Amino acid sequence: MFDVAEESRRSFLKHATTVTIGAFSLTILPSTLAEDEPQVTKPGQLPILGNPPAAGHGASPKPVYGFLIDTTRCTGAGKCLTACRVENKVPEGQSRTWVERYAHLKDGSVKVDLVPETGYAGSEIPPLDADDVLRAYFVPKLCNQCVEAPCNQVCPVHASIKSPEGIELIDTDRCIGCGYCVQACPYGIRFMNQDTGVADKCNWCYHRIMRNEQPACVEACPTGARVFGRLDDPESELAKRLATVPTEVLKQHLGTIPLTRYIGLCDEVT
Amino acid sequence: MSTLRDSRHLWLLAGLLGAAALGMMLLRTVLMPATYGIQGPYRAEALAEIAAQPSLFPADATCHQCHEKVRHERDGTLHEAVRCAHCHGLAVDHVAKARLAAADPSVPIPPAAEWDGNFLTRIDLYLTKDRSTCLSCHEQVVGMPADFKKIDPAVHLEEQGASEPTSRETCFECHGGHDTAP
Repeated sequence: MFDVAEESRRSFLKHATTVTIGAFSLTILPSTLAEDEPQVTKPGQLPILGNPPAAGHGASPKPVYGFLIDTTRCTGAGKCLTACRVENKVPEGQSRTWVERYAHLKDGSVKVDLVPETGYAGSEIPPLDADDVLRAYFVPKLCNQCVEAPCNQVCPVHASIKSPEGIELIDTDRCIGCGYCVQACPYGIRFMNQDTGVADKCNWCYHRIMRNEQPACVEACPTGARVFGRLDDPESELAKRLATVPTEVLKQHLGTIPLTRYIGLCDEVT
Repeated sequence: MSTLRDSRHLWLLAGLLGAAALGMMLLRTVLMPATYGIQGPYRAEALAEIAAQPSLFPADATCHQCHEKVRHERDGTLHEAVRCAHCHGLAVDHVAKARLAAADPSVPIPPAAEWDGNFLTRIDLYLTKDRSTCLSCHEQVVGMPADFKKIDPAVHLEEQGASEPTSRETCFECHGGHDTAP
């Protein structure tokens, strides 16, 4: 049995709760407001370090850089692997980049192994018998810098950064080491760095490319199997080759829109 | 006016809510990084922090600043794209000392060390006149491109009329070093 005063107090409290929650949500307004402002960029102008991203919250910045892997040129010497390790101080046993070898055997099977860091020469890997192999090739793997990066989307503390140039970075100060992004990456690129305890990944040597240097693996590749450059510079080797050779991406069906493109990729490479 | 008889409760509630809101805002300022949200949903200064990381793997241009002769030896050869660091180490210390020495000739530049046989070596600068240097790229491995120059060491030695490598420098008996004459 309720009287009128009792009933209105009840509805007042209901409304008061709604208003309170609404008021609290206003406290996060400044940051969202800043991102929702329309960005003014001149036609052809690309967002670069120091400028705000071209798109608002949730949308990805327009990529500036691209990476091309030519599997027909890779010799599996592993020079890129050592260069990456020293450049980025990657602990032994972990890798930001690696090279896989796919060998199609005459019995119809496909054998996949990992190129040792100092090449197959002198390694403990038993050599494949060339007579059993129909065709074999090397596939270097590194971060795809996906435009729609799943690893970025799952980070609970905003330690995953999509830079204004479209490079996926990790704020190691913010990362709490939950490892969610490691699970989310469909390409297995992210790992928990055993020295720092936080997530680590290939960032196309962001520090080098910001100084107009090549990423360490590209600098180290003696055969031109790794090509890095600006997408907006038609004179760059990358742009020229992208314009003339058909290229593919890994796991296109996932819709992550990778920026690392491959020449000579086969179906079994994922 | 009976509905307002409990207005004291409303003021109390309003006061409590106000205090809670203030507390939340204060907590937010304390916990949120200063540059958060300036460029996007992340700490903007992290970009500059990552970009400030030093470049360690040296470009050949660094070496060529002093070793101009070697550049000319390698110019136009097939090995032009092989980096100095692949066979001689990162030479971080060497370059730093050489830059000091350029300003003050009394600073000694330590000579290159002997290679310890490991391409992951921590030796700063070394000389590798060793067959394993050549083989680390050119030993035949299934999967190499058809046009890449590769050898099966045993077969290649036999072709040259030898059964065993005569020394660790055996490749250099026929082939050049920097000029890599075939």
